Amino acid sequence: MVDFMLAAVVAAFLNIGLLLVTIGTYVQNMRVIRSYYTSGLVLVAALLMIQNIVIVTFWFTLYMDDKALMMSADMVAHYLFVINVIQTIGLSILVWITRR
Amino acid sequence: MFYLEVQNYLPNDVLKRTQKEFFISNTNREQSVFRAIVIFPVFSFPKITPKNLFSFLGTNGERSRPDPRFKMILWFIIAGTKGGVNRAKILNLIKDTPMNANKIATVLNLDHKTITHHVRILSKNDLVVKAPKGYGAEYQLTKIMKDNLNVLDEIMRKIGTK
Repeated sequence: MVDFMLAAVVAAFLNIGLLLVTIGTYVQNMRVIRSYYTSGLVLVAALLMIQNIVIVTFWFTLYMDDKALMMSADMVAHYLFVINVIQTIGLSILVWITRR
Repeated sequence: MFYLEVQNYLPNDVLKRTQKEFFISNTNREQSVFRAIVIFPVFSFPKITPKNLFSFLGTNGERSRPDPRFKMILWFIIAGTKGGVNRAKILNLIKDTPMNANKIATVLNLDHKTITHHVRILSKNDLVVKAPKGYGAEYQLTKIMKDNLNVLDEIMRKIGTK
């Protein structure tokens, strides 16, 4: 049986990696072009990063510690997996466009 | 706004009558006909406005304000991609005088391959166009880029402050 929760966390780690690349590029540009646009790009990417960090933190702490919560979370893990994978695909496209 | 437009199309006595009719209930068939006739020119105003009617606001009837969609694209290509700053410098360099990749590389002190890559991306995004000459062909800005040069100027000012 596929552990969707683990797969979702792997996708979250991938997202964090992709967002690090994106933020790196945006920050490089922001250092040269200081504007609301460049700051906004960094802010949006940072918020997405926080979202994925929260997912990983949730998995490391609440999910691992609380058995009851683990069972409940496993019931909806495939939804979380789908959401994270879609985000991974989206971020991969963004990184591809950004790094071209 | 509504009556401002109506005044352009109706004489005063008709206007007074129609203003009254406008505020009565909408059960009157005559009023419905009136609405169909009057509202049409109001809502289709941009379509019937002749080109260059407001040319005194800009130069030769061209837009004095940049296209917001184009502005977003240019900002993303420059501020949202790796090497975007160099792309802005290329656009700024060739805005007045078309140049080939070699000359751009020399002026900007960048690698020829880098310039070729950036120019290809700019070309794919319809910002620059290559003159039909073959080897050593010069690059120049496309019409849409020329029409929205103020966006580039705005970005260049931001780059210039650093």
